[in-house]
Amino acid sequence: MSEENALPTNGTDLRLLLHALADGELDAATTLSVERRLAGDPALAAEYARILALRTAIGGLPRPDVSDAFRARIAALADGEKATGRPTEHRLGSFDWRAMAASILVTAAVASGATYWATSRIAQSSFVGEIASAQQRSLLAASPVDVASSDRHTVKPWLDARIGMSPPTVDLSKDGYVLLGGRVDVIENRPVPALVYQLRKHLITLIAAPRESGSEPVPVAKDLSTGGFSLIHWTEGAFSYWAISDISASELQEFVTRFRAAAAAG
Amino acid sequence: MALSGKSSAERFGEVVLPHLADAVAFARWLTGSREDAEDVVQEACLKAYAGIDTYAGGNARAWLLAIVRNVSYTWLAKNRPRALVVVGDLADLDEFAAGRETETADPEGPEAALIAKADTAALEAAIADLPHPFREVLVLRDINGLTYREIAAMLGVPLGTVMSRLSRARGLLMSELGSER
Repeated sequence: MSEENALPTNGTDLRLLLHALADGELDAATTLSVERRLAGDPALAAEYARILALRTAIGGLPRPDVSDAFRARIAALADGEKATGRPTEHRLGSFDWRAMAASILVTAAVASGATYWATSRIAQSSFVGEIASAQQRSLLAASPVDVASSDRHTVKPWLDARIGMSPPTVDLSKDGYVLLGGRVDVIENRPVPALVYQLRKHLITLIAAPRESGSEPVPVAKDLSTGGFSLIHWTEGAFSYWAISDISASELQEFVTRFRAAAAAG
Repeated sequence: MALSGKSSAERFGEVVLPHLADAVAFARWLTGSREDAEDVVQEACLKAYAGIDTYAGGNARAWLLAIVRNVSYTWLAKNRPRALVVVGDLADLDEFAAGRETETADPEGPEAALIAKADTAALEAAIADLPHPFREVLVLRDINGLTYREIAAMLGVPLGTVMSRLSRARGLLMSELGSER
């Protein structure tokens, strides 16, 4: 086998291989063939030296540095609501980025509208509706929790100190439910404690309200889920519980079962 | 679904922000100015954010640069229509370049040392003078560091076209710099 049998005889094609060699795009066998050809051909070697020199020269060009201000401006795009009143707004001229921003807002509105639709369908009572709204708000907020801690011994005293009550706070991390923290929701003008667990990428909010005197006990967890949202309700001891999430109802039921077992054991 | 807003912002941070410098460098060479580049990149980032769900993994830099390229050409068509004038179609352009190249490719060619010593302004001017199709391939390869395959995928052209445009872009630069002094 001739060592150069793989190389093109045409000068233009051979030149393409020189560029590819300089760019590290050739396989080992072709690299070897081209290098051998270069060794025996001064004109080709000179061309290769020019290519390398040019690459070095271009590589040495100053690169525009990205100012912190610009970086911050771009990072803020993801925050959506800050996407108005940019200093460069007018410089974009005929380039209608406002339409773009508007379309993002529309997208956001459609997305939250879908959530609203899902939540409004389960608003059979105002109480359930408010629980759903609280969940929705928590998903839209920067943080779903007011006290962020995976330590139940931090979350429970925090809730006690804030509103004078706290539901059993159990550690379910070995089952895959990570305690993110707790928050206070206001449902029907009363503050109620809420625990937030995370399962994979999904949040599960568990709201625990003191039971109304004379209300029906719901010892068997009741599935109140409708399109898009899973909601499970039960009572245990002094509390009425609502678990709400965007995971499937059966997955949420699994969470409820484990939570009740752990609460009863703890 | 309800969490998509949050995860979009997270993905934007992971996919787009690390490649901001590359995006600005690329846009700077396509639009011709630093200020215009920032406007174009900002616009491209808005698009990237809106379309973050269409990013299906793979090379995030190439994905962002493809958006920057589209936005740049839209921007140029509106704001610098004359910068985009291409004489004839691309086949003519490739022939044109081939002609200029053979014309100047004397056996000696310019000294490699002369090219290596070219001053920044001369090199930048020479790159800016390249026709768009050659310039974008050169910048994607030599400034952004994309591979031939990534460039071919981004431009939607065969690998051979990328190679010949790159070769011709560099050939034009070499003869330009070699004849400078």
